[in-house]
Amino acid sequence: MRGLATLPGLPPLLAIGGLLAAWQAASLAVGLDSLPGVPATLAAFPDLIRDPDTIRNIADSLRRMVVGFAAALALALPLGILMGRSRTFARLMNPLLMVTYPVPKAALMPIIMLWLGVGDLSKTLVIVFAVSLPVIYHAYAGARAVEEKMLWSAAAMGMSGPARLLRVVVPAALPEILVGCRTGIVIALITMVTSEMIARQSGIGNLIFNSLDFAQYETVYAMIVVVGVLGIVLDIAFERLRTALVGWASPVGEVAVASA
Amino acid sequence: MSGVSKTFRRREGGEHLALSAIDLAVAEGEFVSILGPSGCGKSTLLYMLGGFVAPSSGSIRVGDRPVTGPGPDRGPVFQEFALFPWKTVLGNVAYGLREQGVARVAAEARARALIAQVGLKDYETFYPKELSGGMKQRVAIARTLAYDPAILLMDEPFGALDAHTRTRLQNDLLSLWERDRKTVLFVTHSVDEAVFLSDRVVVMSRSPGRIKADVTIDLPRPRRRADLLLDARYQRHVIDLERLIDDAPDVGVRP
Repeated sequence: MRGLATLPGLPPLLAIGGLLAAWQAASLAVGLDSLPGVPATLAAFPDLIRDPDTIRNIADSLRRMVVGFAAALALALPLGILMGRSRTFARLMNPLLMVTYPVPKAALMPIIMLWLGVGDLSKTLVIVFAVSLPVIYHAYAGARAVEEKMLWSAAAMGMSGPARLLRVVVPAALPEILVGCRTGIVIALITMVTSEMIARQSGIGNLIFNSLDFAQYETVYAMIVVVGVLGIVLDIAFERLRTALVGWASPVGEVAVASA
Repeated sequence: MSGVSKTFRRREGGEHLALSAIDLAVAEGEFVSILGPSGCGKSTLLYMLGGFVAPSSGSIRVGDRPVTGPGPDRGPVFQEFALFPWKTVLGNVAYGLREQGVARVAAEARARALIAQVGLKDYETFYPKELSGGMKQRVAIARTLAYDPAILLMDEPFGALDAHTRTRLQNDLLSLWERDRKTVLFVTHSVDEAVFLSDRVVVMSRSPGRIKADVTIDLPRPRRRADLLLDARYQRHVIDLERLIDDAPDVGVRP
């Protein structure tokens, strides 16, 4: 919970406090084992953290998320930027993206499991698919919106076409690319958990369902809290990175978070 | 620089003849304005000179060499500034020099000198988003002057500025130009601006874009705005050019 202390300002703390209060009130009102209160859930943490199995599950999840996210960037950024600079390529890619975007990527899990098993590869691959789409779209939009005259100015200085792509299009599109990355992080987190719930072998999602099977409701809620905190910490870290990288840019509009 | 002559056609939807049979020769060190209503293709003409847009027919030469693409001998300045927003003022002005292989220290020294010349001495570490329109255009001019192009291609550079800023930039551009006398092609739709700055004003008409008149502005240099506004020859030129543009047979084509 130390991540919360670094939040700037009071309003976010108030919001989280309100959420916890509502949770506690609901727990007291319902009075069922399947809705433990805040103290009971927090009390589950010491044991969880001491359990090497829990740590292994969380580490497995994070490893797949990081690898999947990195692979998605490596795939999506070149595709998106090329789409933004080549009309033909964009017209080729757009229908493919439009077909795949609305498909929940977790729905691909059964098919991928059939071919690649229930291990890391399948789950990482689903994260790669899910994260790629918003990143491609934002990289595409960013690269397409680069002012033609900025490129002309660079060309007049003697800069070649490939150099302009790398040294003008990429930095100019970076603010928009980072908007895509931020959406991508949230989607990676969602896909990470859902893929583990389908292919139950290791990970946070797996732990949640296993605990449910054993009626360890405190653990279920504790793991959901872990995912929430992960989301907040990643978002704060990303926001810092964004400010450092594109502090020169005028602020871009708020992110619409897509569901996976 | 010998001359530029060209004929070309451009497609927009169907076939659209944007510029037709343009012959234009500009001498080295000459300040020539291209004046005309919007949509007469005067900016397109400039983009073709810059090598950013290819002509459909005809040929463009700078000196003895045909124009096949952009090059550092022709430096553009756009109405939209087109600065690199991720670079500081210093980074923008030094960019072209670094691109030409000039070492960082030398490039930055030259950039600093130019930034001072355009009156932005204390703004070297600012980013473009922190500057006003007039300041951005000063940076853009310094950025282009930095790599020392033989020809400046200015596309309505002061068109997006308020009247006061515009006047100041005109004065400053004139004193910069009177010092190093580069060849300048200056696209504008302002008659005053064209007469004030130029040795020659080329008047264009619309649909298709053609050269309608080529007027020599025989006003003495160095020019000072206060003297010029009272000069009967200046007033005569402004009135004549305004009449020429009014006569353009394009009334009623507005949508």
